[in-house]
Amino acid sequence: MTMIDTTSYTLISEAIKTEAKRILTDGTVTAVVGYAAARRKGSVQPIVITTPEDADKLLFSKGAVNNLAVYLTKAKKEIPKTGRIGIVVKGCDLKALVGLMGESQLKRENLYLIGIPCSGVLGSIIQPDTELTEDTIAPKCLECDVHMPTGCDFIPQGAPITPELEKKYAAEIARLEALTPAERWSYWKEQFSKCIKCYACRQVCPFCFCEQCLCDRNKPQMVESTPRPAGNFAWHVIRAMHLAGRCAGCAECERVCPMDIPLNLLNRKMAKELKELYDHEAGLEINEKGPLSMFNEKDDQSFIK
Amino acid sequence: MQKFITEQNFNTLIDRLIGAGKRVVAPKLNAGTVLYEPLSGSGEMVLDQLPRRSGKEAFFPLCEDIVSYEKEGQKVKLTDIDPALFPETLLVAVRPCDTAAIPVLDAVFSWDYKDQFFLERRNKTTIIGLACTSSDDACFCTAVGISPDDRRGSDLFMTQLEGGGYLCETHSEKGEALLTAHAELFTEPNSQKAKPLAKPEVEKVDLQKVKAWLDNNFEDPAWDSIATRCVGCGACAFVCPACHCFDIVDEGTEKSGKRRKNWDACGFWKFTHHASGHNPRDGQPKRYRNRIMHKFKYYDDKFGQTLCTGCGRCIRLCPVGIDIAEIVGDISRKN
Repeated sequence: MTMIDTTSYTLISEAIKTEAKRILTDGTVTAVVGYAAARRKGSVQPIVITTPEDADKLLFSKGAVNNLAVYLTKAKKEIPKTGRIGIVVKGCDLKALVGLMGESQLKRENLYLIGIPCSGVLGSIIQPDTELTEDTIAPKCLECDVHMPTGCDFIPQGAPITPELEKKYAAEIARLEALTPAERWSYWKEQFSKCIKCYACRQVCPFCFCEQCLCDRNKPQMVESTPRPAGNFAWHVIRAMHLAGRCAGCAECERVCPMDIPLNLLNRKMAKELKELYDHEAGLEINEKGPLSMFNEKDDQSFIK
Repeated sequence: MQKFITEQNFNTLIDRLIGAGKRVVAPKLNAGTVLYEPLSGSGEMVLDQLPRRSGKEAFFPLCEDIVSYEKEGQKVKLTDIDPALFPETLLVAVRPCDTAAIPVLDAVFSWDYKDQFFLERRNKTTIIGLACTSSDDACFCTAVGISPDDRRGSDLFMTQLEGGGYLCETHSEKGEALLTAHAELFTEPNSQKAKPLAKPEVEKVDLQKVKAWLDNNFEDPAWDSIATRCVGCGACAFVCPACHCFDIVDEGTEKSGKRRKNWDACGFWKFTHHASGHNPRDGQPKRYRNRIMHKFKYYDDKFGQTLCTGCGRCIRLCPVGIDIAEIVGDISRKN
């Protein structure tokens, strides 16, 4: 079993503390969103700090799985959006911030980005005191192309160590694509049957920032709110379609699902379609018009019959 | 009454009951996740894992129909769901953190309004509790006054023995009836030692001190630092053995449909959203405060108990690592 070397995270943590202290002291930012240790060994919680004294609480570790971009969206009204805000980002989280900038939700000049040279994080923090190995690493890390984020205001020193490991999503999508529609339907029917409509997938998603979700409307009701097959199917398909061309691949939806539904497979499949149809993929360039929010005469129209 | 049963005879008992048409619900693997589900055979039981969701759904399902309607001309025909049709059920291998929550739910569902759906299922269910022999650092039953071999809520309580098999102890007429009806599968208890019980690490919490602080600190800056990180999903409430809020929705067409009762969660923005558009809990810290207040103050005010059994599910599954054991521990140390 391949172990993933995360010894660099100790020095990275020190660098984050020093930088956060500096930018809070000199007034560059009003707050820093980062990670702090929690009670259980290895566990980490998101934290928002506003004073230099609290900077010592910040760290980065294999348990720093959260995509903190969610805290900067208008859906999170509790975080003050005044002045410039510092945020600790892995490459995957940065893609989400870039997407939010493209959708006019955030302005680059209002952010102070602390980028992480990231070797990977845990796929689940149900048991946070777990070694980071090829088996426990988040599947998204196996396909990561931004271990070293770019365009940040500060990046601690450190080179990510990323052994070549087998890609899981690509293999699983290929497996599902090879099934017959009936077999594929039975796979998803079984997975969706576990859904309890806790909406953890929606609430952690940086792109689910609608003031009121379509699925929460009851005048008129657009989607059955009941955790039964029709409503569950509707919710997951709406979620996948609404994120097509927008999802940055942080896979938080899948990580937080208390019922272990492999939700990121839907997002990855959509991303694959968008790549094939429109040569679009979530990246680090601010793109103001996503492929599904604009019309281009060169778009493939063969599906119109 | 105390009796001994071998593992083989226990499986025989389960298979025999299933064969006789009884609904037997136990921890079982379902598309990769262990849940309390109806068994088709004893071989499906998973005894070494705490199911992802709690045992409450045996009486309080995630979703249930309560009435159906059909429009006939100008008249609307209502058809009640008949609780008499709910099946007799045996709920097996339930950990004490789940069984102890059942009397807590009984109090709520039979308080001023008698919830016939809950109570009928409850009356028709026999519960076999199982002493807990393993814990992780999210477990904190002992911190809130429950023990890994707590008998509360069990009709029959089983303890795994070192040399195999179980010591069975009856705690109600239902438990005795089950044991008597299958007496030939049981023998007299022997002198075998029980397997060592789980030992959760979290220190015991002074729940009176927690309540005293909550009584006086509805408005405290601590709520912001505790819960600003909360993203407002319902994962904690939905996996909790004691949370019991529900929502009633009408679903269908203008011609026919159903009124349904679904689990609800105080973490949701929509939970307190008024028809006027006003929301008295207009931020996540206010919603999370309600979770703590309900569990450690409001429920105690009304029923003299705590609405938390320390199963640790919400700690393991919180998307942002909110740790109720840590929060309550911190509160107990405040003046």
